[in-house]
Amino acid sequence: MSAIVSRAPVPAVPTASPSAQRLWPWATLPVLFIVLAASVPLLSDYGLEIAFRLLLLITLAEAWNLLAGYGGLVSLGTASFFGLGAYTLTKLLSDPSDSIILAMLAGGVVAALMALLVSRAVFRLRGLYFTVGTLALAEALRLFMVNYRGLGGASGLFLAVDPPAQREMVWLALGLLAFATLVVTLATATRFSILLRAVRDDEDAANQIGIRPFRIKLIAFLLASTLTGMAGALQALKVGTVEPYGTFGIQWTVAVLSVVIIGGQGLRLGPAVGAVFLVALSELLAEYPALQLALTGAILIGVIRLAPLGLVGLVQRLLARKKGGTR
Amino acid sequence: MWSFDVVANSVASGVLLGGMLALTALGLSISLGVMRLVNLAHGEFLVAGAYLAYYLLQVTGIDPILGLPLVGLALAALAWPLQQWLIAPLSNKGMEAPMMTMFGVSIILQNLYLLMFTADTRAIDTPYAARALHVGPVTVSAIYLIGFAISCVLLVSVHLLVSRTSFGRELRASSADPVAAAAMGVDVKRVHGLTFALGAACAAMGGVLMGTAFSFTPTTGATYLLISFAVVVLGGVGNIFGTLVAGISLGLLQSLAAMVLGDGYRDLVGLVIFLLALALRPQGIVAAKVR
Repeated sequence: MSAIVSRAPVPAVPTASPSAQRLWPWATLPVLFIVLAASVPLLSDYGLEIAFRLLLLITLAEAWNLLAGYGGLVSLGTASFFGLGAYTLTKLLSDPSDSIILAMLAGGVVAALMALLVSRAVFRLRGLYFTVGTLALAEALRLFMVNYRGLGGASGLFLAVDPPAQREMVWLALGLLAFATLVVTLATATRFSILLRAVRDDEDAANQIGIRPFRIKLIAFLLASTLTGMAGALQALKVGTVEPYGTFGIQWTVAVLSVVIIGGQGLRLGPAVGAVFLVALSELLAEYPALQLALTGAILIGVIRLAPLGLVGLVQRLLARKKGGTR
Repeated sequence: MWSFDVVANSVASGVLLGGMLALTALGLSISLGVMRLVNLAHGEFLVAGAYLAYYLLQVTGIDPILGLPLVGLALAALAWPLQQWLIAPLSNKGMEAPMMTMFGVSIILQNLYLLMFTADTRAIDTPYAARALHVGPVTVSAIYLIGFAISCVLLVSVHLLVSRTSFGRELRASSADPVAAAAMGVDVKRVHGLTFALGAACAAMGGVLMGTAFSFTPTTGATYLLISFAVVVLGGVGNIFGTLVAGISLGLLQSLAAMVLGDGYRDLVGLVIFLLALALRPQGIVAAKVR
């Protein structure tokens, strides 16, 4: 089963040799993160707010891109893993001396365990059943949280400790994004990415040459769920409260998949570009949330139809044409 | 424990509700079977039917059950261009592009409902919605029985349409092999458009029944989509008889679960059964026997 669009392998950057292509993230990404870190102390309160949302959204999008863009596994279950991470952190942090990092990691682990638990159901049939199965998981978890009194029921839980200052939250978000980038870069710049794309493009052929599709898909699913759970934990820490409708709501799923599809699926820069676009849109239409979501849906339809590789793919195509490239 | 009456009522309303679930699932099943399309906006089509019947009753006073064909036709007329403009051009781009396009449609519709009708919970108010029928020891709501009867009639009609008419023959041909069907002179694009419209009409009519028996909001659609999907998977894709059997089984299980665990768990149990079915028997419970 393929990704939403092209089956053609797309080079990460149009560099000359393949080895340079594989090395470029290791050279550029640390520099990028140092520049980002250096700019955090300069941000205003509004800047910090936007920075946090961008960083969180890019983290989630990196995880989704690994699954859908590289693995062809289009998930509508982001909210389930996000919500599990959020509830885990809220339940674990009961004393100011508790480690935030450990609580976030626990959120990721719980999300991964849930992914492991449902993997048999969502991978048994191929392609679209993964999409619908993950959507069912998110809805089932939401309904469970609404009805189960032990975790606060419909009114949710409050965080027992005070959330850290906003600047500290941005540091945590930047740290999480660095971790997510490391994981996704490792997964996409190594042999694993070839296995993953082989399974995406033709599961039977991959199986024939000795790849175990179930195992490869499961690894990608577990990595993505862990990252999503950690991001959910971070959001819970920021808001200080979790409740079923907001934390397990479909809006997180919609935001994440729109970011990746609008930015460019299976492209290294897609999540970042898409996140900037979506955050800008949500700032423009901050007072009309319903209109903003409806517009996101319309843009989604337009991008799938007209620019299947998103904004990044569109720019790459224009650049290639300008150079008189032969693509 | 529960008295005999309570259990009997629960079983009866579960079976009757299951018939309605089969109708809501039918639309999803035929688009999946014929067009290989996962219509993620199916739930929103259902809610559209409910709103349409609600306002039809408010404005013109037409009874929702009598207005059923009207609602079905209206949704079919709206769905046809949607398929021609959005889905047909993506026919050679695999399964995900149309599926995600319908997801976009679902987001748009959900938020349009919010903007147009607010987030208020509504129910189509008819004199017979709350009336109780007594059959021996069993007491069920009249609308359940009406809904079940209408659902069965519609399911049989669609079955006859698919198995006995020339359109049905073209539909089955397009489903089995679109390329060969096109070579034999079947206008596959038109068949797909009509199938999609038929699916939307079934969803809308199911929505009217659900909106009369229960309440609805702009975001109710997601749950109905998933429950419908559960019925489709249990019954086997494109299998109308299987859909009915699976709908009744699921309705029964949900009703019993609501009795044992509380009404809030009704949909949760449906979703858990769906995930279990995917893990254990994804080919459906009836498919193997019928085919």
